[in-house]
Amino acid sequence: MMNVSNLKKSYGEGSSLVEVLKGINLEIKKGETVALLGKSGSGKSTLLSLLSGLDTPDSGEILMDGKNISFLTEKELTSFRAQNMGIVFQQFHLVSTLSALENVLLPLELLKRPGAMERATLLLDQVGLSSRKEHLPSQLSGGESQRVAIARAMAISPKILFADEPSGNLDEETGEHVMDLLFKMVKESETTMVLVTHDRDLAKKCSRVIHLEHGGIV
Amino acid sequence: MISSFFLSREIKRYPFFFLLLLVTLTLGTLGLLGIGLVSEQVQTKLKSNAKEILTSDLVVSARRDLNDGEKEKLQSVVDKISHEHYLVVDIYSMVTHLRSGETRLVELRGVEQNFPFYGKLTTATGIFSQKELFVSKDLSELWQIKTSDVMRLGDLTLSVSGVVTDDSSQGLRGFSLAPRLYIPLSDLQKTNLLKPGSTGGYAYHYRFPKLNDEEVKKVKDLITELLTDPAIRVTLPEQSSEQTGRTLGYLTDFMALAALIGLILSLVGIFYLYQSHLLARLKDLCLLYLHGLSKGSIIIRIIQQFSLVFFVAFALQYLSLSFFYQKLVPFLSTTVGLDMPKEISFKQILSQFPFLYGLSLSILVPLLMGLLRTPMGLQLKSQKISLARFRFYDFIPFMLLLLGYSCYLSHSFYTGSLFFGALCIVFLFSMITVKLMQWILKKFIAGRGLRIPTIEYGIALRNLTRSGHKLTLSFLSLTLGATLISLILQLDRMIQKEFILDENKPSLFVFDIQEEQLSPLLEFTKSRGLKLDGITPMIRARLEDVNGKAFKRATGDTGTLRTREDENESRFRNRGINLTYRQHLIPSETLVEGKLFPEKIAGETLDRPAYLSLEKRFAQRLGLKINDKVTLDIQGVPVEGVVWNFREVKWTSFYPNFFVNVEPGFIDQAPKTYLAVLPVTTRENKLSFERDAVKEFNNISFIDIEELAAKLSDLFTRSRMAIEIISWLSLGVGLVILYGLSHDQVYRRMYDLALMKSMGFSSGSLIQHLLLEFGTLFFVAMVAGFTLGWGMALIIGREIFKISWSIDWGRMFGPGLFLTVLCLATILVSAWKVTRAQPRELLSDT
Repeated sequence: MMNVSNLKKSYGEGSSLVEVLKGINLEIKKGETVALLGKSGSGKSTLLSLLSGLDTPDSGEILMDGKNISFLTEKELTSFRAQNMGIVFQQFHLVSTLSALENVLLPLELLKRPGAMERATLLLDQVGLSSRKEHLPSQLSGGESQRVAIARAMAISPKILFADEPSGNLDEETGEHVMDLLFKMVKESETTMVLVTHDRDLAKKCSRVIHLEHGGIV
Repeated sequence: MISSFFLSREIKRYPFFFLLLLVTLTLGTLGLLGIGLVSEQVQTKLKSNAKEILTSDLVVSARRDLNDGEKEKLQSVVDKISHEHYLVVDIYSMVTHLRSGETRLVELRGVEQNFPFYGKLTTATGIFSQKELFVSKDLSELWQIKTSDVMRLGDLTLSVSGVVTDDSSQGLRGFSLAPRLYIPLSDLQKTNLLKPGSTGGYAYHYRFPKLNDEEVKKVKDLITELLTDPAIRVTLPEQSSEQTGRTLGYLTDFMALAALIGLILSLVGIFYLYQSHLLARLKDLCLLYLHGLSKGSIIIRIIQQFSLVFFVAFALQYLSLSFFYQKLVPFLSTTVGLDMPKEISFKQILSQFPFLYGLSLSILVPLLMGLLRTPMGLQLKSQKISLARFRFYDFIPFMLLLLGYSCYLSHSFYTGSLFFGALCIVFLFSMITVKLMQWILKKFIAGRGLRIPTIEYGIALRNLTRSGHKLTLSFLSLTLGATLISLILQLDRMIQKEFILDENKPSLFVFDIQEEQLSPLLEFTKSRGLKLDGITPMIRARLEDVNGKAFKRATGDTGTLRTREDENESRFRNRGINLTYRQHLIPSETLVEGKLFPEKIAGETLDRPAYLSLEKRFAQRLGLKINDKVTLDIQGVPVEGVVWNFREVKWTSFYPNFFVNVEPGFIDQAPKTYLAVLPVTTRENKLSFERDAVKEFNNISFIDIEELAAKLSDLFTRSRMAIEIISWLSLGVGLVILYGLSHDQVYRRMYDLALMKSMGFSSGSLIQHLLLEFGTLFFVAMVAGFTLGWGMALIIGREIFKISWSIDWGRMFGPGLFLTVLCLATILVSAWKVTRAQPRELLSDT
């Protein structure tokens, strides 16, 4: 599904140059759930940003289903991401002027998928928010916002889902509830998932755990 | 440490915010201060030249000669004081330049020995004499007059002794109806032009070498007490300079109001900028509060911070106005018609400082009150930091100051309140339009997917529906700017059409026709295949009493609280009335209150008071109502009258009309002169008629309406240019604010935009949706603003200028389209930042 070889990324320049990733090699299989575990500054979010095409590497290759996404133009990468990837962020990041339903509808409408409205409604129902679909993000709680974000990430039935500490901004109980929902949906749809977390217990729920430290896999 | 945190460190940390604040404040107040400076310079110049303008220490004047009784009373006062005097008689009459054969209306100034006591008349040859004929520079240029050219003035022919190149008694150049001729008073009497009812004025000038200003004032009071006729004016030099400056005063009043719109726009922007800034800084402020800094101390420091920026803006204006004023002195001197002093008086600027500072600071009151209400301790515990909402009544200090400042700038409670009311209407209209637009859009998008028809437009429409007061603020500032521009453009068009482009205007206005000349003049006109129209008798009178109470002369009080309305009323009270008699209404007037005069029955005896028809605004100024009883003194004969109806007169028709029309049958036998117009005809017909009529009837005067319209057009163009500059400056402020607003909007939405990018939106698509959103907002604001401006132009045109409505579609949509494109370009510059939005910044560990 995804093959990563000798992936390097650094920020800054000259004396302030920080080498964040120092040659990562990794393979992720279809349907696998992978946890990237590590302390703050270990490079796990940078790796996620490169895998999801949100950023470009300094060197190395990322092949997804045989396609090297490291050398795509921004336009090609944007289009590729829209069709194949879903992302869940720690801060939820819902479009503030769109309702819960419209946030889920957004990626589907962008791809002009038929039956977009029905699918968005179904997903909101699955995450238990059918009664809140007309509400704006400012009217939703943290847990509800993250459930909308999960529904939105799953809307296009992505080949791979990237989740960046999805429970990091929620209290323990809500966080657990949200993560259970995420794992349930991923499992039912057999979606590949890469989860960034520093919670060892949460990481154990994944089929594989990768430890990152000082920009490398240990 | 804390002060430095709020001042220097914060400025270093948020340079863009402070720069924008400085630019907004500077541009917002520049127009007002610039106008204040020019106005003050003119007033200073006029005041310093007051005695030169009046030419003496005191003048007793009227539009008729004083009668023997009045002369005796005047003598009884001045004979007790050491004095010198001379008489100046001004009349409007036709003169003929014999060498060129040209004829035109001039102001004939008859002067005596000693004229002028103060100031001087500079002539081309160097010496002015009161015993010879001199012509003004503009007439000399018009007819290429040379020394010893002969002029015919009534029954007299005189040769020109020289050209007056500079007359210090002429305050502002370029506003006079006719060029001036200086003639010995004894010769003026010989011309036989001084007929009863002739248009002119008599001024008795005095110099009191041994009296100081205070003592001269006392002499003035004594004379005023003795000469009770309100039509007699007793003037001191300072009042003379005020009268001279009044024309410009009206203009600067209106320009200042236009400039005030610029300031209001900038204050709207400042409110928005500060709100965003406080929100961004709220976390730090909460931390300072938790560490012991009280809310009061925080607010004081914010005020200090704002004050610092305000002072810097003020200093910048001081420097820039000094620089530009020096460069603009020649241009201003030509435009204003006065040699502007090169030295700058900043009294006016400094006097405006407290108002400007107070008004600018008051716009922050709602935000500071919001800060005061914010539970700062709890903010740090909650997920979202927010400022407490401000209340409507937090804006009351700002509104009161704005109302006061509007009245102060316009020198009129009426105009100031009207301006404030108009602003409130624009504000309400904008709010209603925004809410209506949002309601319609909400209905339109309800239940629809995001693609309406494209996803970019779908999101743009949703943003428009759901953005709160930020959208309203942007809309308000845009609508205000567009309204102002539209108002100026449409009003300009209406006035141009009414005054200048009307092809049915009469050719000549004919006045000072003596009773015995009417029939021969009509015959003369008929013999040339022409016909006089609108023949109207004119009778001189004065108002004796109203409802049994003597009609008093207005005091010459020149206190600082004297408004333009006081000045108008005073001027109306202090002059005689010209009236006419006529049974029916004429096409250029309409009845607005009361009934038409009753038709006469043959043989009916009229043993009741005469019914009077008054021009509505004249009646309002004098406080006269329907059924009020008045006594008129018509050349010594008292005539009882009752106010019967009010009329509105379309003065721009150029057809003769009067403030007072008396029912026929009461004053028909009184001594009178006639006015008439020569309807539209060819230029050749007009000129030859004028030339030949003057030969035949030498005291009759003509005003060339085409020439008058051209003068009005020139005056209006000069005023319009100035107001247009102010309007565009206001719009410039609007654009700077808009840039600030859009920059802030884009900055606030950076995460939304980055998120959309992470989901597959291209940069082009994001820019497209921003342009669609703001483009729609601009378009609606422009349509609303330009329609509102047109509506206001209609009301002002109808109520103030009494002109008919018209619409210029080019002026309606051309600038609207231009402004929309300009606004979109502004947004494009701001929106370009979205290309820099990095989706990776959405991740937790970056």
